[in-house]
Amino acid sequence: MNDMRQFERDVKMTNTKITARSVNVHYGDTHAIKDVDVDIADKTVTAFIGPSGCGKSTFLRCLNRMNDTIDICRVTGLINLDGKDINHKSVDPVQLRAQVGMVFQKPNPFPKSIYDNIAYGPRIHGLARSKADLDVIVEKSLRRGAIWEEVKDRLDQPGTGLSGGQQQRLCIARAVATEPEVLLMDEPCSALDPIATAQVEELIDELRQEYSVVIVTHSMQQAARVSQKTAFFHLGHLVEFNDTDQIFTNPQDSRTESYITGKIG
Amino acid sequence: MTDFTTGAGVPRNTTSTELVAASLKRRRRKQSRLQWIGLGAISVAFLMLFILVSSLISTGWQAFTQTHVTLEVYVDPEEIPVDRLPRGGFDDALAASLGKMVPGVDMSDRKTARAVESILSNGAQFSLRDMVVADPDLIGQTITMKVPVSDPYDQLNKGLIERETPEENRRVKNNEIAWFDALVAQGAISKPFNLALFKNADSRFPEQAGLKGALVGSFWALLTCFLIAFPLGIGSAIYLEEFAPKNKLSDFIEVNINNLAAVPSVVFGLLALAVFIGWFGLPRSAPFVGGLTLALMTMPTIIIATRAALKAVPPSIREAALGLGASRQQVVFQHVLPLAMPGVLTGTIIGLAQALGETAPLLLIGMNAFITSAASSPFDSATALPTQIFIWADSPERGFVSRTSAAILVLLGFLVIMNAIAIYLRQKFERKW
Ligand SMILES: Nc1ncnc2c1ncn2[C@@H]1O[C@H](COP(=O)(O)OP(=O)(O)OP(=O)(O)O)[C@@H](O)[C@H]1O
Ligand SMILES: [Mg+2]
Repeated sequence: MNDMRQFERDVKMTNTKITARSVNVHYGDTHAIKDVDVDIADKTVTAFIGPSGCGKSTFLRCLNRMNDTIDICRVTGLINLDGKDINHKSVDPVQLRAQVGMVFQKPNPFPKSIYDNIAYGPRIHGLARSKADLDVIVEKSLRRGAIWEEVKDRLDQPGTGLSGGQQQRLCIARAVATEPEVLLMDEPCSALDPIATAQVEELIDELRQEYSVVIVTHSMQQAARVSQKTAFFHLGHLVEFNDTDQIFTNPQDSRTESYITGKIG
Repeated sequence: MTDFTTGAGVPRNTTSTELVAASLKRRRRKQSRLQWIGLGAISVAFLMLFILVSSLISTGWQAFTQTHVTLEVYVDPEEIPVDRLPRGGFDDALAASLGKMVPGVDMSDRKTARAVESILSNGAQFSLRDMVVADPDLIGQTITMKVPVSDPYDQLNKGLIERETPEENRRVKNNEIAWFDALVAQGAISKPFNLALFKNADSRFPEQAGLKGALVGSFWALLTCFLIAFPLGIGSAIYLEEFAPKNKLSDFIEVNINNLAAVPSVVFGLLALAVFIGWFGLPRSAPFVGGLTLALMTMPTIIIATRAALKAVPPSIREAALGLGASRQQVVFQHVLPLAMPGVLTGTIIGLAQALGETAPLLLIGMNAFITSAASSPFDSATALPTQIFIWADSPERGFVSRTSAAILVLLGFLVIMNAIAIYLRQKFERKW
């Protein structure tokens, strides 16, 4: 099973993982995403930047159909994952979300123990055959989330008892514990100190070896540091999408230029 | 330009700190006024509660004791031959032993004998009979028995019948008072805790009437109510809140459930009478039918409480679970429902407490029948606590006055216990997120 996946991945090495074509999102009467086309490559970190309220989170949530849970939200257009339409009737959003993990903008640990927070995903997906397996997954995930050292002695204490930044790292660890193929991260570092941020960035870089990572960030430096591709959103439009160094050194659109130089935002 | 800001009574050179200080004084006054009004409201509420409870206690406390007389009974083989058991002259045996203790009465005079005998509760002979039937060897022996006295003498002993009242207006005559005083002088009279209040079912005689039938009836009815209303209520609430599509139909159902909670209970009683007893042919007066009726009333309360508790679970928890690939059913049963459980339990217990005190629908389905034994199944005829109170309040005998209050106190006691359980559960399961 695992080998099969590995094999598939090798074949699609440089392939695009996600293709989006003329995606539009409406919240009731609000037109939040306007005709967005984007290709997200496998084994790459893609950064979404743009001023607050421009629709970064909304677009990110389209990629694992989290917008399904909002009654007034309507998504149109085509989004393919590995060439398959994720909005097709035959696709189970539950399976899709196991494949496309997400770290939310606000940390949202379960009011359960730290251990159970991490173990929940592997448990429901049957990723661990034994308690020992699960222990290994929990430790590995917490290490990847750069929080193992802080919590290893209190795994049975509630995840909600951690500080905001620790909670966010717990959520990152929880998301990677299910081994998703794509990881969507909505401002994962906005509550973290520089050291934890550096650790998370290291993790993102490590994840890139196997997965595709999409990260929303308000920090230009972070986008420049961790991503290979950058998409600039403005008022619901995807204004510019290019290699990260291109965006930061030679932006094609005047709006991109004003944003990265701090004139709009 | 210079006196531009003077006016409105504010000195020109007022700093904003001083302005804040001035407004602070005003705000403090407002707040203290509000506090006093609140305090007043609470005091009035407490006063009302105090008046209610103290009036109940002042009339009801007497019913928690019962006057007894201790007798040396000779179980006469002439009167009570072993071959005629369980028949026999048990009342005569009691009367004879009482006659020896009361001075100056001629027990051969039937009228006097009957008057002396009426000092004892009518149920005393049955206690003796049950003892002898259980152990026929007692025949021929003298046994010591403590039996309840009848209601008038109980009242006399508790001071509820006053000796100053003119004899013709008094239920206990002068000579009878003299007999009783003689018994008191011999130390035969005692006033222990009234166990019969909890051990006996209803009776025509106040001194023998107890709440056991009502307690058992209420228990069966509440059990039925809980077993039906809890799963159905939680199930409907979960479906409506978590799975039902939001459209006109679900809005319509929601409005109707909210209305159902406000329907007067007597209407449910009529409905139960027509449907459960009329169509389905279920027995009258049965706690099972009572429970079904109460379930109809409790269900909207449980549904509303459960939905409110489910709604109060923060959406971020649902998102977190969904984002990890949990199915909606997993989200509900592994995350949302456990977090909502304190609210659900509180709502359920409050619903059940309401059901426990509900009277009107039970009257309509006949749970106010006169039944002298406790129900052994939910399908036997029974009364419930509130209907028992209703029956007693309606009875003319003096002894039922204090028993009514005592029954109300018992009912209030159960309500307090149930609410305490609700609070305990809420605090035990309450978690922060
Ligand atoms: N649940 C919702 N209901 C209605 N409108 C929404 C909802 N979520 C987002 N919107 C609207 O969609 C637009 C895009 O919001 P979105 O959250 O995607 O912005 P964002 O780029 O993530 O901003 P930020 O950087 O502040 O997180 C905004 O105008 C917002 O008002
Ligand atoms: Mg956002």
